[in-house]
Amino acid sequence: MARRGSDTHAFRVTTAAAPTDALAVAAAIREARASKTALRIVGGRTWLDAGRPVREESTLPLAALRGVTQYEPGDFTLTARAGTSLGEISRIVAREGQWLTLQPHGSLDGTIGATIATASWGPLASAYGTPRDHLLGCEVVTGVGEIVRAGGRVVKNVAGFDLPRLMTGAWGTLGAITEVTLRLRARPEVDRTLAVTLEGLDDRACDDAGRWLRTTPYRPLAAELCSADMSAHIGLERRTLLLVRLGGNEALVRAAERAVAELGTVTIVDGAVWDRLRTAEPSGAAVIRLATLPAALGALFERATRRIAGIGGASHATIARGVVRCIVPAAHTREEIERLRGIMKDLHAPGSRIAERLPDPLWDELPSAVGDRLSRDVRRTFDPDRVLNPGILDNTA
Amino acid sequence: MIHSAAGSSPSSAPARGTTRDDGLARALAAIVGERRVLERPGELRAYESDGLPGYQHRPSLAVFPGSREETVAVVKLFAERGVRFVPRGAGTGLSGGALADDVVLLGLHRLRTILSIDAENVRAVVEPGVVNAALSRAAAPYGLYYAPDPSSQTACTIGGNVAENAGGPHCLKYGVTLNHVLAVTALLPSGEIVTLGNAQGETEGYDLLGAFIGSEGCFGIALDVTVRLEPLPQAVHTLLADFSTVHAAAEAVSAIIASGIVPAALELMDAATIQAVEASIYAAGYPTDAAAVLLIELDGAAAGLEEDSARVSRFCTEAGARGVRLATDAAERARLWQGRKKAFGAMGRMAPHLVVQDAVVPRTRLPEILATIERIGRAHGVQVCNVFHAGDGNLHPNMTYDGNDPEESARVHQAMSEIMDACIAAGGTITGEHGIGVDKLPYMDRLFSPETLGAMCALRDVFDPDRRANPGKVVPMHSCREWHGAAATRTRSA
Repeated sequence: MARRGSDTHAFRVTTAAAPTDALAVAAAIREARASKTALRIVGGRTWLDAGRPVREESTLPLAALRGVTQYEPGDFTLTARAGTSLGEISRIVAREGQWLTLQPHGSLDGTIGATIATASWGPLASAYGTPRDHLLGCEVVTGVGEIVRAGGRVVKNVAGFDLPRLMTGAWGTLGAITEVTLRLRARPEVDRTLAVTLEGLDDRACDDAGRWLRTTPYRPLAAELCSADMSAHIGLERRTLLLVRLGGNEALVRAAERAVAELGTVTIVDGAVWDRLRTAEPSGAAVIRLATLPAALGALFERATRRIAGIGGASHATIARGVVRCIVPAAHTREEIERLRGIMKDLHAPGSRIAERLPDPLWDELPSAVGDRLSRDVRRTFDPDRVLNPGILDNTA
Repeated sequence: MIHSAAGSSPSSAPARGTTRDDGLARALAAIVGERRVLERPGELRAYESDGLPGYQHRPSLAVFPGSREETVAVVKLFAERGVRFVPRGAGTGLSGGALADDVVLLGLHRLRTILSIDAENVRAVVEPGVVNAALSRAAAPYGLYYAPDPSSQTACTIGGNVAENAGGPHCLKYGVTLNHVLAVTALLPSGEIVTLGNAQGETEGYDLLGAFIGSEGCFGIALDVTVRLEPLPQAVHTLLADFSTVHAAAEAVSAIIASGIVPAALELMDAATIQAVEASIYAAGYPTDAAAVLLIELDGAAAGLEEDSARVSRFCTEAGARGVRLATDAAERARLWQGRKKAFGAMGRMAPHLVVQDAVVPRTRLPEILATIERIGRAHGVQVCNVFHAGDGNLHPNMTYDGNDPEESARVHQAMSEIMDACIAAGGTITGEHGIGVDKLPYMDRLFSPETLGAMCALRDVFDPDRRANPGKVVPMHSCREWHGAAATRTRSA
């Protein structure tokens, strides 16, 4: 099994021009079907080291599908072609005092298409949810080569079966997303970030914070627990910190600040820590996401953090979602991979363990993400010849 | 009239008036008990309609399992015999989705156990027949509630909510059913049981849970549903703003939305609705001379709420409101809401039949679409009552009429069709929360391409290859020709 088109010159290189519309994407997919050529869908190239290795023979570049095609600020919706970068969308909507509350971990050079396809999310998911909660409609070219337009441009829509949800997080294996319509939000009047010093790495302190978050009427925009290493990495004091992002009018944020102060010592910090947290993982790092029920999060965070602290790893937890994200430096040598294998073995949660990035050999040891009967049939229906990103969600390329 | 015609079923339900499948009734009775199988026309009459008057389809048989085990046994029996069936919760749906036209009706309202409320993890697990409001009542002692609140919440079931991806007034701030359901144990029409999603809410792979929610009973039934609960708001402000034109009310909606304040609910009622409500037992004290009222609710932390409330009030006044009233206590708040939530019921007494419409437009198009609706109503001599979720752009233009008068029915039908076209032309959609069912089937072709409808059919075939669950609903049958290319390799074995 080979990996990542740019390093694998043994494979045919795409010579055709990058498609500039859905019709051209459909033509490329139909051609690939006819010639049984496996395609790697490529957007902004920021996600190519995520997911399982793809057995590609050619690429389907979507970067030329760029630009916002419809934006009516009063509707709080925006339609953009899939290759548009998150940064570009952010800049356009910021002029209207709005934001796209999908700010996934990773670079803002990443495309909106890849963000939806990988269902990637970041700290703001605490308040606003993940891509499935933002996507209103999409245009997709399936592996059959059909152009499908599902959902719509309105914020509430139950017309027909929910193809947009199916495409979200499918990693392109059911269709290449060519355009999306998203829900936007207003920037809060006041947007303030607090760093709360918890007493040591104490799972009880974490659980207290979690309990507070689940019951507080203040609904923070984000709340992330950072291990000491992570805190230091994003420019804060090297100790376990709870980062809380508060939004609303001044009176609300003031009251929320007072409530947060009951959890520990509070410092107001620059909102730029969120950008640093989103881009914390060095290139090539392994990233593993563990999920558990909210009440068990403290113990899981403590266990995971201890396990990776010795080797330069850092962790953070999105409390509202019960998720601990572990970042482990790149593993290249046999010894490093062996060590990471051991960590993977120890890092399990009562809930799910989802790898975002791993060295190739370790992917083969994980179960397929789409191994169940329904998922296999969905795949066969939408991409019968397995021409789209084969292998990215399972190892049976 | 929609004829259910699933092509490949090994056996079809017998036609009405011909040989009844007595063997099926007996076999079902052996599972659920004789009292829970209805087959006489008189008994079945109660199940001829759902929440949408104007359609009457009689099931061939109705069966009401009382436990999970019985439900599984019933569905397995259907699978063995190739029986087509329609799942039904409380029958409050507003698109004819729970109508069974000479096929078996599978009622799930007896499965009403709240299996667990885990306050520490803000989760609840419920059987499909649990009534929406009953879950919130049960969660209240823990300071929690279940956020989606369809207007029928005192009767509708969580299973039905999942099937329809139900919304409600408060989904403006809190989201619809999709945003609150973490997992479903689904019983597929083949009898296969699958778990979709998980209690943690983090999954990888295809979002089959997302696909299942809103599948209108065509993908199978939920044996249990895991939901996320929300903390009860610390404070609630309910405002009633009254306007002398509908246009001014719509302008106020735009101003509020544009400000970035997200009300928990933002509802508009026009003069016809106000008068219907005020003349009914649900009279809420709405000003009967107003052209429109906005019912606005803000909730959350007490701090800052007054400031937001004052701003919203100002937006209304600036848009031309004659007055803005703040409900001073819980009783007044409840009264204001009762008028809204029972508005459909209040309209019901104006004429024998009522078309309850459900369409969505981009929010900036509201003033324009309301004027268009008024024009269409006038052109066809039809009384339109607007009562809707203005904050979402989710319209409910309802029409009262006498279904026994063919001429009036035709005019209503024509007006409805033109309103749907106007909403589609404005960049909107044909249903925001009621579903397609049978009522919206004729509009699907106007909204979606044949390829898109074909893809929807293909997805249904993964869950129900025999097309036995809720046959003939959601996607027009003519769109369900084999989808290009996909059929050749699809496994049809379950």
